Amino acid sequence: MNHRERAPIGRGIARVGLILSLLFGLIAVGAGYWQVVRASELSRAADNPLVIATARDVVRGRILDRSGAILATSRNDRNGEPYRVYADRSLAPLIGYASPVYGTAGLERAYNAELAGLGSGNSLDDLLYKLAPRRRQGDQLTLSLSLKLQEAAVKALGTDRGAVVMLDPRTGQVLAMASTPVFDAGAIANPLTAQAAFTRTSAAAGQPFLNRATMGLYVPGSVFKIVTSIAALGSGAISPATTYPQQPAAEQTGLLVSGFRVRDGHHDFTGSQALNYDQALAVSCNIYFALTGLRTGGAALADWAARTGFGGAIPFDLPTASSQVTNGGGSFGGGFSDAVELANAAYGQAETLVTPLQMGLVAASVANGGVLMKPELVTAINGPSRTETVAPQVWRTVMSPGVADTIGQAMQLAVESDWGQIFTTGAAIPGIPTAGKTGTAQLGGSAEPNSWFIGYAPADHPTVAIAVIVEGGGHGSARAAPIAGALMGLWLKTLNR
Amino acid sequence: MNAGARPARAIGAIGRMRPRARRRESGLLIVVALVLVAGSISLGATQRELAGQKVSLLPADVGQLSIYLAALLLAHLALILAGRRSDQVLLPTIGLLGGISLLLMERLPQALVTQSLVGRTFGLASIQLGWLLLALGVVTVSAIAVRSDAWLRRYKYTWAAAGIGLLLLTFLFGNEVNGALLTIQIGPFSGQPTELIKVILVIFLAGYLSEFRPLLVDASMRLGPLRLPPLPYLLPMLAMWAIALGIVVVQRDLGAALLFFAVFLALVYIATARTSYVVIGLLLFVAGSVLAYHLFGTVRDRVDIWINPFVDASGKGYQVVQSLYAFARGGIIGTGLGAGLPLVAGHLPIPAIHTDFPLAALGEELGLIGVVAILGLYLVVIERGLRVAISAADEFRSLLAAGLTLVVGVQAFIIAAGNLKLIPLTGVTLPFISYGGSSLLANGVVIGLLLALSDRGVEPPPAPRPDSRRRARFLGAARGSAR
Repeated sequence: MNHRERAPIGRGIARVGLILSLLFGLIAVGAGYWQVVRASELSRAADNPLVIATARDVVRGRILDRSGAILATSRNDRNGEPYRVYADRSLAPLIGYASPVYGTAGLERAYNAELAGLGSGNSLDDLLYKLAPRRRQGDQLTLSLSLKLQEAAVKALGTDRGAVVMLDPRTGQVLAMASTPVFDAGAIANPLTAQAAFTRTSAAAGQPFLNRATMGLYVPGSVFKIVTSIAALGSGAISPATTYPQQPAAEQTGLLVSGFRVRDGHHDFTGSQALNYDQALAVSCNIYFALTGLRTGGAALADWAARTGFGGAIPFDLPTASSQVTNGGGSFGGGFSDAVELANAAYGQAETLVTPLQMGLVAASVANGGVLMKPELVTAINGPSRTETVAPQVWRTVMSPGVADTIGQAMQLAVESDWGQIFTTGAAIPGIPTAGKTGTAQLGGSAEPNSWFIGYAPADHPTVAIAVIVEGGGHGSARAAPIAGALMGLWLKTLNR
Repeated sequence: MNAGARPARAIGAIGRMRPRARRRESGLLIVVALVLVAGSISLGATQRELAGQKVSLLPADVGQLSIYLAALLLAHLALILAGRRSDQVLLPTIGLLGGISLLLMERLPQALVTQSLVGRTFGLASIQLGWLLLALGVVTVSAIAVRSDAWLRRYKYTWAAAGIGLLLLTFLFGNEVNGALLTIQIGPFSGQPTELIKVILVIFLAGYLSEFRPLLVDASMRLGPLRLPPLPYLLPMLAMWAIALGIVVVQRDLGAALLFFAVFLALVYIATARTSYVVIGLLLFVAGSVLAYHLFGTVRDRVDIWINPFVDASGKGYQVVQSLYAFARGGIIGTGLGAGLPLVAGHLPIPAIHTDFPLAALGEELGLIGVVAILGLYLVVIERGLRVAISAADEFRSLLAAGLTLVVGVQAFIIAAGNLKLIPLTGVTLPFISYGGSSLLANGVVIGLLLALSDRGVEPPPAPRPDSRRRARFLGAARGSAR
């Protein structure tokens, strides 16, 4: 036997063995990743069989509003099996349902593990549970929501489809989050009526299951001018004194952008006067904001919009759709395809799409001196598996206090000045200084535009910010502005006294 | 060359056997038996508690466990009686893996698989026990009876033809399982030919590579920075690649294709010690993968699921997500045998738990500790097998032992890594643990051959065939004359 020849075979075998051993080590690392690092997160996922199985024989924790009113609780049926009941239909798109047949939705889904008492997040607890299993007791959630304000918001939207988001700009706490049409979540939770109710709701017009406040994407129209303002003033592209000499003439003939005419003309009474920033916001001048958008540039507009939360999911207790300033992919800067798209986006048309929650955050960031608080709905979790109070958290500093102040003053003029009142009728709260901006989002064709309002009050020390959209509600001042004025008034004068 | 001209015999004379003690194997088997009894007691206690019965320290299924342990003892006694100086660690190791398999199958719903035979209906664990006993029989018989390898090395092209024939049979008459042509049906029995083909492949490759090793190592043509063998010797590599791709295309059996190609590349590397072959092989693998990804929906689905199974957690990604959930539920120490896998509406969360995802079930019930221990058992098999390969008497035996070991090791890696989302999931069995006769029997042959090859007292390899020497001289390889 020739040994010089055989040596490499042994070496090769040893090397292959070494590689295989390393690969097996990799598997052990992978197992450690899923079984230790990601274990508690995955074990609490709503579709984990352990969670589903446990949820069946656990009494789910209650859900309370900010004043302790019961929003959701459990009752026992004749066989002693617990099922869920809800305080009011106005909560349905937000809180969702927990059904033995159809699983969970909404906040019931997002906090399923906690409500089912699986949410310890503490591996030692889990270990002890494993060694000595005991019956689980669900945790109780306390929300920042006000049940009365929520009911009023749904009542105000009436038979229209739409959404209302109200939050405290100082803390980010959600006070009301309405979406219409609503549905009967209690009927889906009740085993006796579950099937009929679920079938009926799935087939109902207007997608009642959709929480429009967080998942609905709408053309913003003129309320987007606040985002353009943040970008233009924040980046220094314009100052409050900026005027455009070509603007008055363009009101008549349209503004020529790369061969395309941006038209306006809904405020003839300003005549030949070149408007400054305050005036332009008060009369909602599209030409002014188109020119401002072009001066700011697509990249800066997209960047500053991203600071307020555009282009990504908003960190919240519920899933959120991400708002966009443009479809993206264009080469003009910030993803815009050309100057025309940028000019139109700057006053909220083009490919810009927003959620009501996103616009509520834009209003809140102006109200809070440029500091955007992380929106939150669940303020406390109390129960056997954990007790936790959620403190308000700064999410981002969007703009300087100076810029916020400039925009805030213009928004107050937009509600209270002689010119502004024409466009924001009904938004002003008697006796309380109010700031805001309407939007009339054109959808193309002969469809009625969507009616928008965003704003806050009191203007000098804001404690509530709001975003209202009424689908097909017409001009902003027709539906959204009066709803906003009434709800903010109700909150400031009656509920939060 | 010191090869004596002793006649090659496939089956050794039974009359010449002289018993020889196997103390290490005896000791290890006692440990294995204790572990399995402890596991069975734990399973039994959990099952009785869940059923609301009085908890006692009786094993889960005394009959099945006793039969299995008795079979292990019989195999051990047979090896002692045969008196061969073969490896003493392999049998206890696979004995433990098989015992874990039995406990797992006892723990799963018995109705997952049922088979009626002689008027009785058998459930999952009984059938698996039957296959385990047969596999232990195969291990023992091949470990004792295989004394010469001439019948393996002489007829390598016959083996290759048999392998390709089996493959074609599967192509033509295969039954579809989960979208892949996996099984062929012969009468009442169905089997997975790829399990047998993997053994045949290794036998052929060991013969082919050991014969042409000098040519593959020395002769070269340059192509840029790569030193390649002359074209005729590249052909097998291309053929192998084409066969692997064919398995993907026709059978849509990604696991088998991956296993065959990986074992092939590793053996070529061992035989030639040339990284250029591995580089070419990996390039071919990448090219084939890209091609398959663009051409076949199944491949694309697997890769997309691998990248993010949570996107479609209730649809395409369901099994992988449920597998990860199972691992996560287990944590470090596990829930205990029988205490995991919560049923959803009376069903197991993972339908293919007994064939493709046994590691997920064990990960949940035995925890990270159990997973690492099971991985350790496979590493022991690999270490023992490669040790046999390194100390074998000639290249054929080295390559054969290494190839057989790799088949088990690489297959365990492919499915374990797939369960844990380290690589895209491809359906191969976890050796000795997954439910299924073909897999158990084929792996039984592998271990039996390794045991036979580990016997140092066996007769030396036969002389090389004269015609291969002639061919070598004809091709001008210098080594030819040295032999």
